[in-house]
Amino acid sequence: MSYEVLTLSLPFIGGYLLTYSLYKFKIIKKVLHINIWNFIIGLTFLIGGGAGFLLLIFLELGMITPINHVLMYWHVEVGISLTLITIFHIHCYWRSTKKMFIPAKRRVKS
Amino acid sequence: MKKRVISFLASVPILAALSLSGNSCAASCPYGMVNDPYPGQCGHYIDTTGDGICDLSQITSSTVDSTSNDQIDTNNEVADGNQDLNNGNTTIDSGNDPDGGFLGDGDNYFIIPLSLLLISGYLFTYYLFKKGILKRSKHKRIWNLLLTAGYLGSSGTGMLMILFINLGIRTALNPSLIFWHVELSILMVISTLIHIHIHRKSFKNMFRVLFSFKATGTKK
Repeated sequence: MSYEVLTLSLPFIGGYLLTYSLYKFKIIKKVLHINIWNFIIGLTFLIGGGAGFLLLIFLELGMITPINHVLMYWHVEVGISLTLITIFHIHCYWRSTKKMFIPAKRRVKS
Repeated sequence: MKKRVISFLASVPILAALSLSGNSCAASCPYGMVNDPYPGQCGHYIDTTGDGICDLSQITSSTVDSTSNDQIDTNNEVADGNQDLNNGNTTIDSGNDPDGGFLGDGDNYFIIPLSLLLISGYLFTYYLFKKGILKRSKHKRIWNLLLTAGYLGSSGTGMLMILFINLGIRTALNPSLIFWHVELSILMVISTLIHIHIHRKSFKNMFRVLFSFKATGTKK
C-alpha cells in the first residue's frame, strides 16, 4: 500500500492560488488570506502532530490497537499537507523569513 | 460511591492483563498490521524469510523459525544481506538493532529529556529577554531558526520515508530515518508551541479576523 502525495496536495495548491489571487485582485484583504492559511496550518499541525504523538505513546507503551495503522496512514497524509502548507506559510511571511536568515548588517550592505 | 470504587478496583487486573498482552505483542508489528506486503507501510519493514511479507506483521513467523533448522540456516544467509531472487527484495536485518549506535537508538525516543531541554532553553532565553540582556528580535530569531530546523528535518525525513515506501527502496538507513524523524518532530512540536506563545497576539487576532470579521468590517 502506497501513500497518496499528489491527490492530497492538489486541493491545497488550488486553494492557496485561489485565496492568493483573490487578495491580489483586492477582493479580500491580505490579513484574511494570511489568517485563513494560519488557521489551516494550525489545524493540520493539530491533526498530524496529534496522530503522531498518539502513535509515539502507543509505540513506547507497546500498545497495539486496531486504530494504529489508520492513525499511521492519516499521520502520513496530513503530514504531506503540513509540509506543503508550511511552504505557503513561509511564502506569506517571506520578508520575516529573509530577515531570519540574513542579518540586518548584511541586508544594509547589499 | 462504594460500588464505583469496587468496580474501578475490579477493572485494575483487567487493565493490567491488557497492558501485559500489549507488551507481549511488542515484538510483533508496532502498528498492529497483519501480513503487511513489500515494501511495507512503515520504515520498520523487515523480511528475513524472503516471502515478501514483513516478518513483524506475520503472526506465525517466530514459530516457523524455531521449528526448522533449515529455515534458520536460510534466515542467517538472508540476514547477512543476500538478495532474494524470487521477488527481488533486498533483505537487510537492521530493523531492530538493540544497540542503535550513532544513527539511531532503536525504539528509544528521548521524548521527555528533549522536551525538557527545549522548554528550559525557552525559559532561559525568555528570562534573558525580560531582563534586557537579549534583544526581542534575537530571542525570536533563535526560536524561529529552531522551528525551521525542526520543520525541515521532520518533513525532510518524512518525505524521504514516503519516497522509499512508495518506490519500494530498502536501505540500511530506514530505521535511523524513523529515529531522526521522531526526534526532529519533537523539536518541531515544542518549537511550534513556543512560536504560538511568541506570536500569541497574532494568534488571538486570527480567530477574531476569521470568525468575526464581519463585525470588525461594520465598525469601519
